[in-house]
Amino acid sequence: MGLFRALGLDVKILIAQFINFAILLFVLYKFGYKPVFALLEDRKKKIEKGVHDAEKSGEKLKEIEEKEKKVLAAAKKEAFVIIEKAKEQAEKRQGEIIKKAKEEVGEIINQEKAKIQQEKAKTLKELKREVVGLVAVSLEKILGEKMDGKKDEELIKKMISKK
Amino acid sequence: MKLNISLSPEVLFNIGWFPVTNSFIWTLVLSLFLIVTTIVIGKKLKMIPGGTQNFVELIIEESYSFVKSIIGTDEKAKKVFPLVFTMFLLILLANLATFIPGQAAISIAKENGPVPLFRAVMADYGLVFVLTIITVVLTQIIAIIVSGPFGYIGRFINLSGIKAFFKEAIHGKFKFGVLAQGFLDLFLGIMDIVGEIAKIISLSFRLFGNIFAGEVLGGVMLFLAPFFTPLPFMFLGIITAIVQAFVFAVLTLIFITMAIETGEKQEGAA
Repeated sequence: MGLFRALGLDVKILIAQFINFAILLFVLYKFGYKPVFALLEDRKKKIEKGVHDAEKSGEKLKEIEEKEKKVLAAAKKEAFVIIEKAKEQAEKRQGEIIKKAKEEVGEIINQEKAKIQQEKAKTLKELKREVVGLVAVSLEKILGEKMDGKKDEELIKKMISKK
Repeated sequence: MKLNISLSPEVLFNIGWFPVTNSFIWTLVLSLFLIVTTIVIGKKLKMIPGGTQNFVELIIEESYSFVKSIIGTDEKAKKVFPLVFTMFLLILLANLATFIPGQAAISIAKENGPVPLFRAVMADYGLVFVLTIITVVLTQIIAIIVSGPFGYIGRFINLSGIKAFFKEAIHGKFKFGVLAQGFLDLFLGIMDIVGEIAKIISLSFRLFGNIFAGEVLGGVMLFLAPFFTPLPFMFLGIITAIVQAFVFAVLTLIFITMAIETGEKQEGAA
């Protein structure tokens, strides 16, 4: 006990020191370590989640890119085919149209030709008749003799056909 | 001029029956400082840390991983860390506070001469003793919890070897090697009791002795050659302050770890 007294140990102070330390420990735990640990844990989880999500989204992006490429390639192919088809069709159609136009033109020309022919024939006929009349009149005048209409006509016709 | 070295803290005044010593006041001041700092920092914790919070987090995280590396698992570390780290903080702060300039010069006049108002907390055996008792008692409690009351007693009074000899002796086989081993175990068990008691003394007097010696040495040097000469001793004192705080906390941690591990080993053997 002499040592205790020399060191200044007093039970009252020891108890007070103990209580003081207990309070200190409690407060530091309650307001220091606990929230800090909770925060650290929380942040760790958040970061883990973030990294995980980033990885996932990266994978998805890759997938989407690949899909995009595939789709693009397919679309290109299809477009090419469609264009080819369209070209073919257009060419075909063009040929048809040209053909049809040619035919139509030919027909029109033919029709016109026929018309012209007809007209020509008609004109010739009329001309002939007129000439016959004219010749008859002139002959009558020249001959001074009135021939009978029938004979006259026959004569003229003969003359014309001889020509 | 007279050099006044006192092993015990000086009583400044009495509140009723309670003697208030200078080191006790210091303890209260430091504890209050720690509490206020903790609450202020704890209230301002943010998800995205600023400068102070970063520093605090770094220290706590590193200390925690150090504790974990010694004690083994997260579960145990979470339980032990607050105690060990609080001890470290309090001791470190108490030791470093003695380097606040001017505080040693303030003294209070009493009937038998002037009494210094401040005293290095760890140079008062009181708080050191309390902390040591907490460590040792906690160690014993953990040992009892881990290995059971009989296992705990059996560790100190180990009769299993002698029992084994008598079991064989009933059958007429006298194996004196087993008996010798049994007595050796018993002796070692009793030595363990001494070891546990020695723990209290070694743990407490290491801290108290170092800090008290540092104070005395500083005082003597200041007394003999007040300029420049005390400086190296003060630097030494700062190193001692940090190292002793660290050593005390780590030893507490190691004692607790050992108590857990010995109990688990015993359980494994039984």
